[in-house]
Formats: sequence, C-alpha cells, structure tokens
Amino acid sequence: MYDVPHGRNEVAVTDVKITARNVQVYYGDTHAIKDVNVEIESNTVTAFIGPSGCGKSTFLRCINRMNDTIDICRVEGDIRIDGDDIYDKRVDPVQLRAKVGMVFQKPNPFPKSIYDNVAYGPKIHGMARNKAELDDIVERALRRGAIWDEVKDRLQSPGTGLSGGQQQRLCIARAVATEPEVLLMDEPCSALDPIATAQVEELIDELRQNYAVVIVTHSMQQAARVSQKTAFFHLGNLVEYDDTTKIFTNPEDSRTESYITGRIG
Amino acid sequence: MQDHISSAFDRDLEGIQARIMKMGGLVEQAILDAAQALETRDQELADQVRANDRVIDDLEELLNEEAARVIALRAPTAVDLRVILSVMRMSANLERIGDLAKNLAKRNAVLMSMPAISGSTSQLRRMSRDVQIMLKDALDAYIQRDEALARDVIERDVDIDQMYNTLFREFLTFMLEDPRNITPCMHLHFIAKNIERMGDHVTSIAEQVVFLVTGEKPEEPRQKEDNTSTDLGLSSMQGRGV
Repeated sequence: MYDVPHGRNEVAVTDVKITARNVQVYYGDTHAIKDVNVEIESNTVTAFIGPSGCGKSTFLRCINRMNDTIDICRVEGDIRIDGDDIYDKRVDPVQLRAKVGMVFQKPNPFPKSIYDNVAYGPKIHGMARNKAELDDIVERALRRGAIWDEVKDRLQSPGTGLSGGQQQRLCIARAVATEPEVLLMDEPCSALDPIATAQVEELIDELRQNYAVVIVTHSMQQAARVSQKTAFFHLGNLVEYDDTTKIFTNPEDSRTESYITGRIG
Repeated sequence: MQDHISSAFDRDLEGIQARIMKMGGLVEQAILDAAQALETRDQELADQVRANDRVIDDLEELLNEEAARVIALRAPTAVDLRVILSVMRMSANLERIGDLAKNLAKRNAVLMSMPAISGSTSQLRRMSRDVQIMLKDALDAYIQRDEALARDVIERDVDIDQMYNTLFREFLTFMLEDPRNITPCMHLHFIAKNIERMGDHVTSIAEQVVFLVTGEKPEEPRQKEDNTSTDLGLSSMQGRGV
C-alpha cells in the first residue's frame, strides 16, 4: 500500500453544505490528516470509512471543532459551512456546535431526566421563552429521534435508565433539539444490537430530509445501507470520494477495493 | 489482487471458480462430441452426450447454491461481487450450451436413418469446432482476467453468424433441388441454428469477463450478422424459375 492520494476525489455535488480545502491535522508531530479536500452535500448522508487510525474520526471532529479541546492538536486549511469559515476567530465554538450536532459511539445521556437531556441545549441557547415552548421543542426533538412514543409517559425518569438503543436515539434527539444543520455521527451504532441498529439507521435516513448527515462507521455494510456518498480514508489521505453505489460496486482506487472487499484492514 | 484477510472467503471463491471451469470443460467436450457423432454417424457417442448433460445441469444447480451462500454469508462487494454475479450468469450460459449440444445429439438418430447431405456435417463440425475454441478462449480470459481476449471472442462471433448464413442458404438450395432433402435439411438447419445460438451464449460469457474486469458491460452492441430472420430466401430462388 502506497501513501499518496490519487483516487477519484472530484465528484458532482449539487447542494454543497460543507467545503473542506487543504485540511491538515497534526497531533504533535504526527500528521494525521493530509491535505483533505471534500465537499459535503445537504440532505445527504455521507459516510466516512477506513481502517482504524486512518483519520476519519479526526476529520469528522474538525467539522465542529471538537479537536480544539485537544491541546497538541493543530488544524490547518479551510473548512466552510454555507461558505462561512468555521475556524474564523469570531466564531464561537459553542454556537458552532449548536449548528453542527454530534452523536458519539457510546450513548452518553446526561445523568438527568429524559426531558432535561433534550431540554439542556435549547435552554442554554435561549431557544425557548417559556415552559410551553420548551415542552414543544422537547417533544419535537424526541419525535425526530423516533423515541417519543416509547418515552412520552416517563419524561421525568432518568435517561440512563433506557436501553442502549433508546439511549442512542435519545442522544440523537438531544443533538437535533438545537435545530442543527449538520449532524455528525461517530460510529453511532457500534454499541447497539442489530434491531436497535436498524432503528437508528432508519432514523438516519429520515434525518436526511432536514440535515446534512456525516457518519463515521466501521461497518461497511452500514455505510452501504445508509449513505448516498462515501469517502474512503487511508493513512490520513482521502483516497476516494464518490457515490456510495459506485464505491461498493466498482471503486476507482485499488486501495478502496482492497479495503471494502476485506483485503486490507 | 491480494488475498482476503478471511482465508475462508478466498477458499469459497476459488471453489466456485474451479467448479465453473470444470463445467466449462464438460460443455466444450459436449460440443465436440455432438459434432463428431453427427459427422461419423456414431450413435453411441451421441447417447453419451445426452447422458452427460445431466452432470452439467447438476453443476449449474450447485454453482447457484454456492453463489447464494456466499452472497448471504459474506456480503461480497466490488470485484468479489462481480465474480459471483458473473459466475451465476456464466453457469446459466454454459447450461444452455450444454442443452443445445444435447439437442444436436438428439437429432443424430433421425439423421442416421436418412441419406447424408453431402458436405453439410463436416461444415457443421467446423462451425462447432470454432464455437468450442471461442468457449475455451472465453474461459481462459475469465481465469486470466484478460479483457482483450474476451473482446476478441466477442468479435469472432461474427464468423459463426456468417457460417450459419452460408449453411442456411445451402440447405435452402438442397431443399429446392429435391423435396426428399427437406426432412434431413430441416434437422440440419436446426443444428446449424443451435450452434449459432451456442456462439451467442459464448459471446455472453465473454461479455461477463469484460464486466468482471472493468465493472462495465461492453459498450457497443455487436453487429448482428445473422440476417436470415429478415431474409425471405428470395435471393436463392432467383434464377431458378421457381
């Protein structure tokens, strides 16, 4: 395996939401992301795939500046959402993260009630003027998270008391409560059983109506099932970015082919 | 191409490909034997071709089962998926060629009871020999992932079509000359048509090789040279006062 990007990265994108240009990420001396250029579409699920340590999660975390919290991490290049540079000094990362929601690998509900889990974001961003408005926001978010029917009668019970799959959908509801435009998901189903995974995947497809969804996944079958576009990362390079169907049936780059057919890990 | 991390997956794919090659070898032999039985009026050999077709049918069944199992258990993608898809289509083509060879052998008994039509069986044998070589090359192209050889096979089907056209006219002439030739010539014509159909199936196998290697079906459809279906045969009748 050679260490140069040369695959097909230019892909016809219609409605661009996120543009990344010449993005480099360093952890101390380690060059983790090497000159990544990518355009991510609105109302599309984009999957990032690649072996462990290929940089897919690192790149995902650049999109809502989660890497800011790591001292030795340095991000260079240009990432824009709707044309606005998210690394501009005037951008408040907290506001950015309201616009760019994130769901993590392990469900991580706050040790609070189901209601408060969802209400927390809207409250700190001052989205509701009174209790009735907040109730509405919480209900809408829980419905979007496809969990409302299961929790509507026990909104005051602790979120941590739900099953793993329910917790993850609660976290998705929490992420959409602040009305984000982009939803980042870092292996959202890796801790879930197949049924809960199917429910979350169904939810991801519905969320696409309203958001640009970017999902990092180790399950290639999941990427094939839920995404319309797929980006393959290898050794910090974006090797190939194309329609998911193309990537999984006839990829351009031999490294992509080797990875998706289970020849390199 | 490197091996899979899962060596069992490699073994599955190798097993399937070994089986399709075995099937291909049996079909090649069936073509040759059927044509030889025809020329040498060898009923025993013809019966053998008919009996052997069962083995070819069983192999197709087996290949379909194995392909379905790999799809279910290993969710093949990209080139692996194309191996499975192409094997499934190729085994269907091979099974059809086997049937056509069996049909040749079936007509042997009837033809043996009639006077021979001069020269026709040796021409048919040449034609089936060419089809068999095309099949051999298509299968070699498959194993070697040789796109150029596969495209060459696709080109060569034109020759088979032309041979069929020639025979079609020849049989027409024999039938016009003497009505007693009609029955054997009808049988011989079906045989020629069957060999021409074998050529089409071989072409389809070669197209699967192109698909396997490139991920795309060959772009332009091959020029059809068999125009007997639109030809009323009038040209053969002209000048004969019929």
